[in-house]
Amino acid sequence: MEEFSSTATIGASSVVPRKDRASRPHYLEQTEGEDGIRLYKLSDKKTVIGRAEDAAIRLTSPKASRQHAILRRVAGEFVLQDNDSRNGVHLNGLKVHRAVLRDGDIIQVADGEFVYREG
Amino acid sequence: MAAFVTFWGTRGSIPTPGNSTRVYGGNTPCVEARFDDAVFICDAGSGIREFGNDLLSRESRPEELHLLITHTHWDHIQGFPFFAPAYQPDTRIRVYGSEPGDERRHQLLSGQMSSAYFPVGFGELKAEFIDDHFVDYTRTVEGVKLTCFPLNHPGGCCGYSLEKDGVKIVYLTDNEIEWLDGEVLPDPAGETQPRTIPDELVRVSQNADLLIADAQYTDEEYATKQGWGHASCLTVTDLAIRARAKKLALFHHDPSTHDAGVDERVRQCAQRAAQFESDVFVFGARERVTLKF
Repeated sequence: MEEFSSTATIGASSVVPRKDRASRPHYLEQTEGEDGIRLYKLSDKKTVIGRAEDAAIRLTSPKASRQHAILRRVAGEFVLQDNDSRNGVHLNGLKVHRAVLRDGDIIQVADGEFVYREG
Repeated sequence: MAAFVTFWGTRGSIPTPGNSTRVYGGNTPCVEARFDDAVFICDAGSGIREFGNDLLSRESRPEELHLLITHTHWDHIQGFPFFAPAYQPDTRIRVYGSEPGDERRHQLLSGQMSSAYFPVGFGELKAEFIDDHFVDYTRTVEGVKLTCFPLNHPGGCCGYSLEKDGVKIVYLTDNEIEWLDGEVLPDPAGETQPRTIPDELVRVSQNADLLIADAQYTDEEYATKQGWGHASCLTVTDLAIRARAKKLALFHHDPSTHDAGVDERVRQCAQRAAQFESDVFVFGARERVTLKF
């Protein structure tokens, strides 16, 4: 029988916190729209999608409202909300008022189409 | 008037957490239907826990909540002991029976909190509970016309429609459309026409802006589970087509159906709607998604 050394050490003496999904970067990948293909890294700050000049994700389409949709991080998850826009927000084709996003979701805002990517 | 519907639990039978159900969710049935400030809770499955926490975090919340329980099978009441507003003294909860004197729902909600099942007794809840009921299957509450109607499920079950200012939401879960008196309904039209649907179901679902319907099985699964009280998603689609519903939410997902399986059902049902030239928009009910009407 193989003998094991009693002095061998295995790892640290305390639990190492795991790097969970919420701590990894998440993205919106713009795949369609006049504004071209872009990758936006999402932050913990409120992200506005719309026609306003100060929108973090700016759309030039006249179909877009100034502050068309808002993304917020709530308890580690990104929540998409229609900000009373004229033309609505679609999630995988369904017009939604609010939704917690999941990897691979397709978001349509005016002429812009985005894919939500979890890190 | 603004109406909102939020899905808090969409899974049938038993909570099914895990990576494979992360998109549509693993909580058992709970749907919030809000018409302006009037809040109706359809079923108290495990999804009601998250709903309760969300409700308490809102800037303004109603003093009174209206609880519509389809039936008292476990997956439709098991979340109730974890519904935080029930512990708040400033909350009033009306529990509706299907007719005067019907307190079965209230009794079973409280019964599951006996000490054999749960450490906190019903009597320790701080909210005020009021037994209420429908009269002749209808009732108007805060301007919302409620209708209840019997569904086909072992032990009995009620569906509900909620209507106000031209917006109609129909909640129709745990319902085996195809099964009547121990026999499967004939499908004489085969695949060339929508299937036979009981007239009453079509009537109550007529022109719904949103039809939330039990679609637990595929046709293949249904063939081995007849009499269990749940429908095939294609039959439910035919109901939506016949009733001219605008949106159909496939609901009460089977615990063994993963997210990809729900996606596939949606695809099949949308294809069927297109085959019969219906405009109904078919989607899979998904936790923490809110629709506005």
